[in-house]
Amino acid sequence: MADDDLGARLARFVGERLGAPVRVTHLERSTEGFSQETFVFDVEAGRERRGYVAKREPVAGLLEPYDLEPEFRVLHALSDDPLPSPPTPWFTRDPAVLERPFYVMERLPGEVPIPAARADGSGPFDDAERAALGPQVARALARLHAIDWRARGFQFLGAPRPGREAAERELARWEERIRRSGLPVSPPLAEALLWCRRHAPATDAITLVHGDYRLGNFLVVHEAGGPRLTGILDWELVHLGDPLEDVAWCASPLWRAGTPYASALLPPEEFAARWAEASGRAADPERLRFYEVLAFVKMIAIMLSGLDAFRSGRTTDLRMAIFDHQLPFLHLLLGMTRGWLAGAPA
Amino acid sequence: MTIPVEALIDGLARTLTDAVLPDVTSRFARGQLFAVVDVLRNLRDRLEVKAALHEAEAASATAALERAAAALGRDAAAARIAGALAAAPAGPPAERAAALRAALVTALEAIDALPPEAGGAARAAIAEHLAAQTMRDLAVLKPSLFGEISKG
Repeated sequence: MADDDLGARLARFVGERLGAPVRVTHLERSTEGFSQETFVFDVEAGRERRGYVAKREPVAGLLEPYDLEPEFRVLHALSDDPLPSPPTPWFTRDPAVLERPFYVMERLPGEVPIPAARADGSGPFDDAERAALGPQVARALARLHAIDWRARGFQFLGAPRPGREAAERELARWEERIRRSGLPVSPPLAEALLWCRRHAPATDAITLVHGDYRLGNFLVVHEAGGPRLTGILDWELVHLGDPLEDVAWCASPLWRAGTPYASALLPPEEFAARWAEASGRAADPERLRFYEVLAFVKMIAIMLSGLDAFRSGRTTDLRMAIFDHQLPFLHLLLGMTRGWLAGAPA
Repeated sequence: MTIPVEALIDGLARTLTDAVLPDVTSRFARGQLFAVVDVLRNLRDRLEVKAALHEAEAASATAALERAAAALGRDAAAARIAGALAAAPAGPPAERAAALRAALVTALEAIDALPPEAGGAARAAIAEHLAAQTMRDLAVLKPSLFGEISKG
């Protein structure tokens, strides 16, 4: 679909919902997101202009099979929450509009710092920025975990029973994705899976879990008083589970961008401590340890799904192909986390 | 490599033709892009991953599996590991390396089924190989362009 056609279709869709004809301008496909197709655009109605973002299911990709509806329902319900999630008014499955299901959310101000070191090897934030932004990120995560998911009607996400089910269900989810990729399980991944199966922790604390809360999914505005967290993006892995899954994911070496800091912001222990303080929950080391290892399982599963989509020709997105040579980096980090990198069994 | 080099090259050519070419407007640049696709298509059936990489991996994996089996003595796990090792073909190098990776997974599963105190030496042998192989894999990689890929 050409951009002109896409813009005209979006204009019709949005105009019908706003009850007035609109023009779509400045339409651009975003390169940051590696999973869903993301289109940024302005809507002009008379003299008024507002920014929107459309997220469309890709034909194939990292997290197939795709279903945008659960994510939309959560974002839509949270549109009035103080949590900085993007207000998300519209969703459709109608293929007549953009061929595949998509939703539209309001564009929040800010830019998305990515989890990559700068050319000089430094991280994306200086010390003052880290000191200002790190606590905001920890507090926002605590706020996310405080959402009353029962009152919000999020039972459709499927609540695990208290006990080991939250951990076991996540492990099973990612093992299934690995199996579905049809690609071989590497020995480092096999070692991690075996460890996870034996160490799934129990918890009674079932909360809303973002699933991909980390550097790269934060919108940040730089103001005179320092950086401000203005948005939490990419909710496609949202589910109900153990909140420590988000804490471990955000603090994972995967997202440190060449720094020793959780999401390039805070020392991992400080990040967990600040989250614990803000949430009133314990950052239990045993549970945290499980989710640290699961983070690598999850990331490798995502990469294998992308590689499978690329090798089979279901996607032409070359960004999937780079995972082939990135896997050794994952093995390195996994080896450091599990303790076998020095040749010693963990 | 997780996917065969032929599949990778097919994908590169497909992406350049289907996703990049439509947005390239200069005639010279389009011609250059077609030339890249032409080169890729003709490299496809003449390339293979360096045998030395697979051979180094296979030698290290074989030694680790032998040590693991020896450490387990007469335990059934030792026989399982030895069986997986023996089942790996002698060549070609890529196939042997892939089969030995599968044998290592079998070995890890066999060791995992043992009481924790019984598998220490076998586990250490495998861990030593995993560490060495990870460093070998990393040694041939170039610095990542992830930032540029993300920002466009």
